[in-house]
Amino acid sequence: MHLSEDTFETFLPGLSNRDVIDLREVTFIDPYGMVGMLEAGRYLSLKNMHKSLILPASGEVLKYLERMDFFKFAERYFSVVPEMPHLPEKYMRSSGSDVLLEITPIEKSDDIHFIVGKVKKRAHAILKKHLHYDERAINGFIVALSEVCQNIIEHSENTGYVGIQKYHFQKLNKNVVKIAVMDLGRGFRGSISERIAVKGDLEAIEKALLQGISRHDDIGRGHGLAAVRRFVKEWNGKISIRSGSAKISIIPDWAWGKEKESRLMPFPGAQISIVLPEI
Amino acid sequence: MVAYNIYKLLKEELKNGSSDLVTRKSGQAIRERIERDIENEESGEVIALDFSKIGVIDYSCADEIVAKLISRLLSNEYGDKYILLTGLSDNQKENIEVALERKDLAVIAEMRDGERVLLGNLHNYLKDTLDAIQKKGKITAKELSEARKIEANTSGTRLLNLHKKRLVRKIDETRNGTRVWVYERV
Repeated sequence: MHLSEDTFETFLPGLSNRDVIDLREVTFIDPYGMVGMLEAGRYLSLKNMHKSLILPASGEVLKYLERMDFFKFAERYFSVVPEMPHLPEKYMRSSGSDVLLEITPIEKSDDIHFIVGKVKKRAHAILKKHLHYDERAINGFIVALSEVCQNIIEHSENTGYVGIQKYHFQKLNKNVVKIAVMDLGRGFRGSISERIAVKGDLEAIEKALLQGISRHDDIGRGHGLAAVRRFVKEWNGKISIRSGSAKISIIPDWAWGKEKESRLMPFPGAQISIVLPEI
Repeated sequence: MVAYNIYKLLKEELKNGSSDLVTRKSGQAIRERIERDIENEESGEVIALDFSKIGVIDYSCADEIVAKLISRLLSNEYGDKYILLTGLSDNQKENIEVALERKDLAVIAEMRDGERVLLGNLHNYLKDTLDAIQKKGKITAKELSEARKIEANTSGTRLLNLHKKRLVRKIDETRNGTRVWVYERV
């Protein structure tokens, strides 16, 4: 069982009905799955539903979760079973070089400075070495990351999480970097409808992502997400934005998925995924 | 010319140890500091915003600092002042340029290698006039007419337009006993 962007929709509906979320069978989890799990737990906690989370049986998955600091936050929202997996120290950080950014909360402007500073330090070890990015591409990556994270502070009126990791994508035989950024705020429709009338979540995401429209009428605003889209396109990446009950993806040749989805299970805030392949 | 070390302002205003200009909120804090300092400068002063010790500038910060400063400069909010960007890297230039283009603004920038470039949007005929001033250092309407073989009225209008955009300074000089307007590079 995988827990990733591809399986998030099948995973989500069962969450509120069960007292126990059983991840024992999970053999792969990516930043989207991990950040999604935390946000789902946070959402349920806010509704006074405190669930038990049975951890994956796979030692590899546990090590990965630890490297990404998942447990640091999971215990806030779940009763983690077993309480804390015992991982020998030597495994805990030994493979840390694939982590570009551990799961990090986004609550205020200073958090973005912290995130940018941390990613800059690791960019050469990961983006240059594994994705073969040059200085210009690394700069574009950092700017895109900054813009997509500050979307939470500027528009969601809530807080969120971000996590980034490098993988070897076997189907492509290439390295990829996956970014997941999520919040529990008012979502694209809630934000944009302050300024213009939109029919639903799908139209709101379209306006923001494809037309650069934001809730502000200043022509300098709404540019961040459009710039992220241009960066992802330039480097042949995939971007997906899910908000409310809709999702829009910009899909390159090597990837798959639906470009537009609606009538998904409603979930607050925004869930953004960016996948960038080696060049 | 007075230089503002943006890294120093960043350190003083944000106090978070960052060397990056990211987020709109940070940009707003830096711009407001610059605006406070500009108020104390003398009329006709050129303010050089020095980005040489800055790392990344994102689009939101570029808009909040540079595009808003230039926009307000053109609205005469800071009086008779001029703004120049210095110490820019190629990456910073790219992001600032997008923010300026979106608002149809322009500013002169000096890159880290000393090359002077125009960032943002400007009509080709004004670019040509600006180029003449950059090369000569300063020029009168009569000299521009002769150099570009254009009518005196046209050259005067072009120079005035560049001055309105605060891309050249306008100075009153006496030459051979006659007062003339001279336009010089910032």
